[in-house]
Amino acid sequence: MVLGSGPIKIGQAAEFDFSGSQAVRALREDGYEVILVNSNPATIQNDPEMADKVYIEPLLSSSIKRILEIEKPCALLAGMGGQTALNIASELAHLGVLDELGVELIGSDLEAIDKAEDRDLFNKVCDSINLPISEAIACKSMEEVISAAEQIGTWPLLIRPAFTLGGLGGGTAWNVGELVEIATLGLRNSRINQVLIEESILGWQELEYEVMRDEADNAIIVCTMENIDPMGVHTGESTVVAPLQSFSDQDHQILRDQALRLIRALNIKGGCNVQFAFNQFTGEIRVIEVNPRVSRSSALASKATGYPIARIAAKIAVGYTLDELPNPITGDGTTAAFEPTLDYCVVKIPRWPFDKFRTADRTLGTSMKSTGEVMAIGRNFEEAFLKAWASLEQGCPHPRPLTKADESEGDTMAERANEPLPDATLVDWCKIATDRRMGALIEAFRRGWSVEQVHEITRITRWFLYRFEKIAQMEKEMVTLSCNPTEIDVELLRKWKSKGFADSHIADALNSFPPEGYKSLPRGRDEDSVMRRRHSLSLHPNYRMVDSCAAEFAAKTPYYYSTYEPNTKQGIDHVPNLSKMEKERYVAIGSGPIRIGQGIEFDYGCVHAVMAIREAGKDAILINNNPETVSTDFDTSDRLYFEPLTLECVTEVLLREQAHAILLQFGGQTAINLSQPLEKRLPELVKSGLNLKIAGTSCDAIDEASDRERFEKFAKRAGLTMPRGATGLTSNDVRNAVEKIGYPVLIRPSYVLGGRGMEILSNDEQLDAYLAEAYLAPDKPLLVDEYLGHATEIDVDAASDGKDVLIGAIMEHLEEAGIHSGDSTCFIPTQNISDKMLELIREQTIKIGLGLNIIGCYNIQFAIQGDVLYVLEVNPRSSRTVPFVAKSSGLPLARIAAKITIGIPLSKQTIPVRTSGKVCVKAPVFPFIKLRGLDPAPGPEMKSTGEVFGSHANADVAYLKARLATEVPVAQGGGVYLTVRDDDKPKLVSIAKDLIELGFVIYATPGTADILRENEVPVEVVYRIMERMHPDALDLMRQGKISFIVNVPTISGGAVRDGNMMRRLAVELNIPFVTTIRGAVMEVAAIAAMMKGEMEPVRLQVNY
Amino acid sequence: MPLGAAGSFCPGSPNQNISNYPSFIDAADGLLNDAEFYPQASGPGLLLTADGGRYEGDLFGADKIGEGELVFTTGMMGYQESLTDPSFAGQVLTFTYPLIGNYGVHINRSESSSVWPRGVVVRHAMKQPDHRDSVATVNDFLRLHNIPGIENIDTRAITKNVRELGTVLCVFGPLDKEDMLKARLSELTSPELDDLVDLVSIDQAIMLNEGSCDDFGRRKPRLAALDCGIKYNILRSLCQYFEVIWCPPDTNFSTLTNDYQIDALFCSNGPGDPAHPGKASMAKETLAKAVESGYPVMGICLGHQLMGLASGLKTYKMRYGHRGANQPVVDLVSGKVLITSQNHGFAVADPESGMLAAHPSGATSSEVENLHGQEVKVRYINANDKTVEGLDVIDKPCFTVQFHPEACPGPHDAAGLFARFKKIVDNHLGVI
Repeated sequence: MVLGSGPIKIGQAAEFDFSGSQAVRALREDGYEVILVNSNPATIQNDPEMADKVYIEPLLSSSIKRILEIEKPCALLAGMGGQTALNIASELAHLGVLDELGVELIGSDLEAIDKAEDRDLFNKVCDSINLPISEAIACKSMEEVISAAEQIGTWPLLIRPAFTLGGLGGGTAWNVGELVEIATLGLRNSRINQVLIEESILGWQELEYEVMRDEADNAIIVCTMENIDPMGVHTGESTVVAPLQSFSDQDHQILRDQALRLIRALNIKGGCNVQFAFNQFTGEIRVIEVNPRVSRSSALASKATGYPIARIAAKIAVGYTLDELPNPITGDGTTAAFEPTLDYCVVKIPRWPFDKFRTADRTLGTSMKSTGEVMAIGRNFEEAFLKAWASLEQGCPHPRPLTKADESEGDTMAERANEPLPDATLVDWCKIATDRRMGALIEAFRRGWSVEQVHEITRITRWFLYRFEKIAQMEKEMVTLSCNPTEIDVELLRKWKSKGFADSHIADALNSFPPEGYKSLPRGRDEDSVMRRRHSLSLHPNYRMVDSCAAEFAAKTPYYYSTYEPNTKQGIDHVPNLSKMEKERYVAIGSGPIRIGQGIEFDYGCVHAVMAIREAGKDAILINNNPETVSTDFDTSDRLYFEPLTLECVTEVLLREQAHAILLQFGGQTAINLSQPLEKRLPELVKSGLNLKIAGTSCDAIDEASDRERFEKFAKRAGLTMPRGATGLTSNDVRNAVEKIGYPVLIRPSYVLGGRGMEILSNDEQLDAYLAEAYLAPDKPLLVDEYLGHATEIDVDAASDGKDVLIGAIMEHLEEAGIHSGDSTCFIPTQNISDKMLELIREQTIKIGLGLNIIGCYNIQFAIQGDVLYVLEVNPRSSRTVPFVAKSSGLPLARIAAKITIGIPLSKQTIPVRTSGKVCVKAPVFPFIKLRGLDPAPGPEMKSTGEVFGSHANADVAYLKARLATEVPVAQGGGVYLTVRDDDKPKLVSIAKDLIELGFVIYATPGTADILRENEVPVEVVYRIMERMHPDALDLMRQGKISFIVNVPTISGGAVRDGNMMRRLAVELNIPFVTTIRGAVMEVAAIAAMMKGEMEPVRLQVNY
Repeated sequence: MPLGAAGSFCPGSPNQNISNYPSFIDAADGLLNDAEFYPQASGPGLLLTADGGRYEGDLFGADKIGEGELVFTTGMMGYQESLTDPSFAGQVLTFTYPLIGNYGVHINRSESSSVWPRGVVVRHAMKQPDHRDSVATVNDFLRLHNIPGIENIDTRAITKNVRELGTVLCVFGPLDKEDMLKARLSELTSPELDDLVDLVSIDQAIMLNEGSCDDFGRRKPRLAALDCGIKYNILRSLCQYFEVIWCPPDTNFSTLTNDYQIDALFCSNGPGDPAHPGKASMAKETLAKAVESGYPVMGICLGHQLMGLASGLKTYKMRYGHRGANQPVVDLVSGKVLITSQNHGFAVADPESGMLAAHPSGATSSEVENLHGQEVKVRYINANDKTVEGLDVIDKPCFTVQFHPEACPGPHDAAGLFARFKKIVDNHLGVI
């Protein structure tokens, strides 16, 4: 049995889908029957074809125990499922469950896990082999924390909770007050209620060694990585470079010896990573920690070197030694017992959600905030770094001079763009690690600051600063030159390209970075002009293989990155043997980094698209830049290009491949956004011999579905009802629109994913506040819609071939319309929708699919208010719910749709028979615990990072499973605190009655209490928080008297302070809360179901 | 015995508790104080290979034509150690890692007193090194030693070419002198025809750590280290366990036994063909006699190949050799894998499988006879291409390895072999 890692959350992203999938394949290859358990429906690993048996069940020790009892596997492999799986395995082993059931824990054993994870034991191991660790004292209580601080005697101190993922609840304290605050959280978050108080080694270099070891004690270093950010920033939050850059062989060999000694002393079998701190001035070393499992870093190391760590770790777990295994990259004649060597430089940059969560604290520290990451490869650091920047898809694809507009979005942004960012602010941006730091470093050098100066401010290793300085210098060269792109000197252009400057960057710099933005460059001096000049000079990238051996051996695995080699004149670097290739070449575009609104579901779609292409007998080519994913595994596609998903990089790959078609439906908004610019560019590319078809839905149809006004016209023609809406380009437009529609309204920028900047406004004050922050520009209008109160939201995923439509599933949301669909809990099949309405939904889905001439996947969001069915939006692409639909209904919609786009109509496909008899529930998982300053309530703007799945014959139990899988407990007794808005109060009565019946004590504020009393519900009254009288809800929560909260906030994102404080505390105390009445009803049903204890695991079964 | 000139290299330092150990010139010493540099090369450059390859780049280092046998090393760090490794004598060294010079050049990290490749090929010669120990750039280091370099060149294309065709002769210099370069290339003969061992080794024996004692206060056994191009870290490693006399390669066996009264013999790494009739063959004679006479013998790299020849095994030129810090070697006795540092273009033919991974030229030693009359068995093989990586002489206190247990650059996995040899010597001498 292999355990997955559950939902995507901050600190645990798609990397474990990648490692788990690789492990499962490696084990099945050897004839093992593999049972896979993971609660996350969006993963590839729990696809029905991946493992012999799949369970999509909560990752709790109780449910895993039950599955072990049912399946009676020989062995349990926990090292592929991150901290979640490791904790479960460790718990089951300690409880004796594994021994009792005769299940062997393979990979690292219990003792090894304990030694690596328990800081006290770990420190002892390090002591025994003379490894220097930073002084750390394990504390189980606040008294111990205080005395430990006294014992160490210096500030700042680092606080690290034991047994958590992503350093949750850790931090740096500069005084006793901060120490108490952080340690309180840390003690609570640690599974064993232990925190470590450590000397601070802020400013030291941080580095990581990825290590493999087998049972015969052969041990190797797969990859070394150096963080640009000095110690103090979690390694998952750091910009990281592989291999080590500023270390000599002597330094490296000392660290290597220590890493190997350590994993031998810990007796780790398989993959693990060792983190070091290094004082670059004295050469002193500290061991920071060891993860006795594959990790996000090992996913990065796998993609950075080509060495499949998870695969080899799985083989080691079943007894192979390294030298018995061939290196799958270089094939026979080479062995896995070697250390990869690179002939390129790799840069990873994390992707943070601050573009969506503008109120969240951007400071990076010892706990994680990023949702995903990108990786880029180049032949020098500058090239890799600039490519990584372009891969982030965070505003501009290249660094630009910083202005006051970069401080915040909002009304005067356009004017502020003319004023440079003040130096004082720039110092702060360099000094304090935030998502803005790397851009600030380059800006500092643009302003002529010296490397020494910036090093003083940041403590960042000078080697990196020299590189950033170089980028700034080359930019300056372009700004000074300021020529027309047609006049760029070939040698200069070649030099710039070989340092990673994108066409858009060069064009922008030649125009002196106009304050209006890089998209406003004049025609003839824009990105396209630079491309034309480049093409006229036959300057194209070379494609280099990631082969784990620096070309020492011929590699089998076609995994490429682009680079501009200087001094070569060869035009387009075509795929070898292109002329002999008989298969048509289909390119699928990935979805880039995991972010809020664009998660692993899209990677799932890409992987299925690739499978479909390969099944159809064509060459599947994939472009993506996310190192955590299955899509970027070296054997997923026929050829993998690890590249930014920019128009330029995609274009060059298309040229190299002489691709026949490109699939843009499966990589989320990233891919679909390429459709129009690419179509515009196609006539130009024909000259270079490219005869490309944009497969699937045409660009025009995509535009018709996405463009507000065009879609409205279509809806009118087709007889569909839409909420009234309008578009505004200026504040006045918006105000007029609101007046016409009337409050409440739903407002959002156009062309967004995940409802960024979407809010429900119910009065003028809120509108003023929104407009003050919103950024309006001719290309960025705001959309205003009538807000449908108390409407049920419906999601439909379907595929159309232009003649027929296949509806994957109709999903009913638990939450009312107004909560972002990505954040809602949804049910397949629908639970409360009449057959007549379902028929109408089907009818309209078909009408839309055929009417818009969709070829491939699409997703529709409907709302039902009374008897009226409204169409909210149509997404002409694979959606977030596609994997959920596939696993609930047994219809692999992404693959079916991909086949359609390749030209196989539905009528010629074998569509599997839909599964039935079960209710499936998808529930969101939120990052509130990690991101302070973010209101912990779902709203129209998407906030969840991932999702979980529950299925059962009974809807309540299915919901319960999903709820448990979110890792927030389900209350089983104690107090419930109720506070709802006035119009919901009547509905609260039956909920309260049920809770009383289930044995709960009810607490409520006076207003709510009155209504409950009137209805004979016993209730205890507490003060409102704003009354500042005690006890209030916060007191009760801290006293542990509250185990569940129903808190329905007033309509709007402008948070009411009371509710916000209470929800924040609930998040920190891990008290479950719901913010809708329907949610409350469902939660009570789940509580009841759990009390009955009927939660038998259900095996995933499909008919294909 | 005469001592070398004072410099920053101190054998055995700082591992031993002895005073007055001599110090020798480190290739980086000249960078201190009033360094005198050869003229700087600049401008567009061109590298031509004997198989018709043509690669453009930019010149750096000393202003001079680079020529020799084109090889590549895959180590990502340790360029200073590689540049000063005498085994690279006669070769033009390509680094596959694209950023060379990141951490500068350090005092006391060289493996000899000079830079040995006849030219250096890199993707980027880094001009702003950053490391607490750095005293100069790679560019200046090359200029100090009058070695030319070429950068901004497609090193991966070169590497692939060498991988496919085997090592080839090459020449590089200014782009505008292509005809001259072509002419020189056509006249270039294989550096292996020269007595490279003679070029890189010392002429006079030097006692390194006279009177050195072990932790128990006992005098260390006396060992002669035959220098065929020895790396300083071999000397450092040997000095930990032995009282070392650093000897020229052509030292007679009788001098060793009669004059130096040695307890054990070591034969070092070095450049070129082990079957070369020059000083290498003299070292081989001495080696064979030591084995025959029952002395403990250890050999590394060329020393190992000479042992192969002395044992009646053929040696041959490999396609492109093993050069790097990640070569996996299997110990056939323990079954364990060591990740090793390697730098060799020749190999000992396997008694059973013969010449694996051979060079297309088919270069091989002529028929050889067993000089010492003892049987050898293969102890280590390369986990990738299964070539011979180490020999044990059956029933004799002698072994040799193809890889570099002294590392520098590279991993320390095999460092225990020096201790193993010490144990063998102790057993032989009856020391408990």
